[in-house]
Amino acid sequence: MLVIQPMKKKLLSLVIFQLAILQLITAQSAQPDFMRSTGKIYVVVAVIVAMFIGIIGFLVYMDKKLTKLENQIKD
Amino acid sequence: MHLIKEVGALLRKELVLEWRLRYAISGILLYVLSTVYIVYASFVAVQPQTWNALFWIIVLFASVNAVAKSFVQESGNRQLYYYSLANPTAIILAKIIYNTGLLLLLTLLSYGAFSLVGGNPVKDYKLFFTGLFLGSVGFSITFTFISAIASKTNNSASLMAILSFPIIIPILMSLIKLNAGALRLIQDTAIWKDIMTLVAIDMILIALSLILFPFLWRD
Amino acid sequence: MLKHWWKILAVLILLYTFTVGLLVPLGPGITAIAPQSLTTGKVVQLKIEGYNSHYASATEKSAWLKVGKNLTLPATKIEAASEQDMLLTFEIPAHFPGEKKVASASLILDNDIDGSSVKPSAVVLTQETLAPEGAALAWSTATLTGLHDKSGMNFPFRNILAETIRNTYFHVPLWFGMMILFLVSVIYSIRYLLYLQPKDDWKAVAFTRVGVLYGMLGLLTGALWAKWTWGAYWSWDIKQNMSAIAMLIYLAYFVLRGSLDDMEKQAKIGAVFNIFAFAALIPLLFVIPRLTSSLHPGNGGNPGLGSEDLDNTMRMVFYPAIIGWTLLGVWMSNLLHRMDRIKEYLFDRM
Repeated sequence: MLVIQPMKKKLLSLVIFQLAILQLITAQSAQPDFMRSTGKIYVVVAVIVAMFIGIIGFLVYMDKKLTKLENQIKD
Repeated sequence: MHLIKEVGALLRKELVLEWRLRYAISGILLYVLSTVYIVYASFVAVQPQTWNALFWIIVLFASVNAVAKSFVQESGNRQLYYYSLANPTAIILAKIIYNTGLLLLLTLLSYGAFSLVGGNPVKDYKLFFTGLFLGSVGFSITFTFISAIASKTNNSASLMAILSFPIIIPILMSLIKLNAGALRLIQDTAIWKDIMTLVAIDMILIALSLILFPFLWRD
Repeated sequence: MLKHWWKILAVLILLYTFTVGLLVPLGPGITAIAPQSLTTGKVVQLKIEGYNSHYASATEKSAWLKVGKNLTLPATKIEAASEQDMLLTFEIPAHFPGEKKVASASLILDNDIDGSSVKPSAVVLTQETLAPEGAALAWSTATLTGLHDKSGMNFPFRNILAETIRNTYFHVPLWFGMMILFLVSVIYSIRYLLYLQPKDDWKAVAFTRVGVLYGMLGLLTGALWAKWTWGAYWSWDIKQNMSAIAMLIYLAYFVLRGSLDDMEKQAKIGAVFNIFAFAALIPLLFVIPRLTSSLHPGNGGNPGLGSEDLDNTMRMVFYPAIIGWTLLGVWMSNLLHRMDRIKEYLFDRM
């Protein structure tokens, strides 16, 4: 069967998480055309937020891996 | 010269093996026939647009099954034996040539069976058979090489599909477009561009297979 | 410090990308015109809504309707209600030349602050009867003179895109970065096959991982951009499909590595597949999209990133942005493979 490595699982959940958050951001605005207001500048904001979340996700992944290594050194 | 002789000998070996294990090839042929029958039974009337897509999907699945056995189904010991005798480039070349022949036969049979039950919407035969040929070559190269990779793993059957399907998609898409031209579904003046793309993809893939295979077999 | 020059460069370039890319204003544009369908032989008032425009403070204002290649009709009255709103009055003659009863007209605006801007196919003109042959026409065939140039730095205003044109510095470099990272990964895979040094394989894997991260982010940001410009997150555009397939290929690469137990086998077979997959990726991302029509610029046979899509001001940000984002990716993969190295070292000592 298909073996999905933990890293891939994390990546997948990260993407789903991002989508969920961005949906939330856009859904919260009661105004139907919030994303289209002021020349659609909020689309740019959403894109930058998405990339920011992606890079933060990378940091979290590194952090976890490093913690594991530190624990190995301690033992 | 030596290489050609080796390839010839290996090709002969493949043919003899195939002849001895006749059930393998007859199984594939039966597979094509039953798939065509099922498709026809579930669609009844096939539009040219659907005909085009279905035809290539049937050929795709039949090809994966036909080619997968080329490395996956050979035991490790037997492979080791070949490798001690022959040059790896000759082995992959022989396999690719053999599989190309097999797939050509397969696509022609699929076409025959499919046009028998589903009608024959082909208008431009020259273009259609060019597509069939380039498609068989592309499928054969990709699937042979991927089956060589997949045979190194423990779950080769599922890996064969996972690894080869994304890689085959550009070839498949160009083929479906080319055939749409042959079926006169689209009017395209730049059809040679698609042909050139296919030829280029085939060339790149065969060059890489020949270069990379020697790194694969040595264990 | 000297050793880290490229990391500092990455940060500086990204800083430049963010500040210039987000702060330079968009040039003036026309966002709305009402009414959109006009009949000939009447005096009509067009309500114009501008974006980043200076209709009230501009002193020399002019406006034309343009039909066909060179027929223009100047506005008889121009009243600016505010910087963004303007009322144009046109006395449309009874006929316009041509064999059709319906024609689309472009609107050309010009003033001393904003320079000139054009809204193609702004309104639809309908005439009751065709123009009688040989009749004198009120439309002028003279070329427009005295148009102003917009001074200062601006990104061009494009319909539909509006401010999202800035995504060119964020979404697009992700793809360039991804391809460069994959290319570097392939180079390390080739090196691995030649010299069989494990560190080359770690580097190849690290670059592929960050490449996949970039690809995923590219798909995600592309989907967001598409939602508010093309109308849907996913519109089965050929480039979207191809990028998704590229991700499948590289996820298959990780599955392949995962299904091999022996480290050396993992490295060798992984390297072989990486090279093969990259070769299959090139037609996927560059050749096939050019053969088929697509919503993306640079498809259906026309060259990508031509002057239509990218003007000189945008180039000044776009090219550095590619370098910046790529260097950031290199930095990220650098961290990843250094960690792998430490892991290997610890593994050997224990």
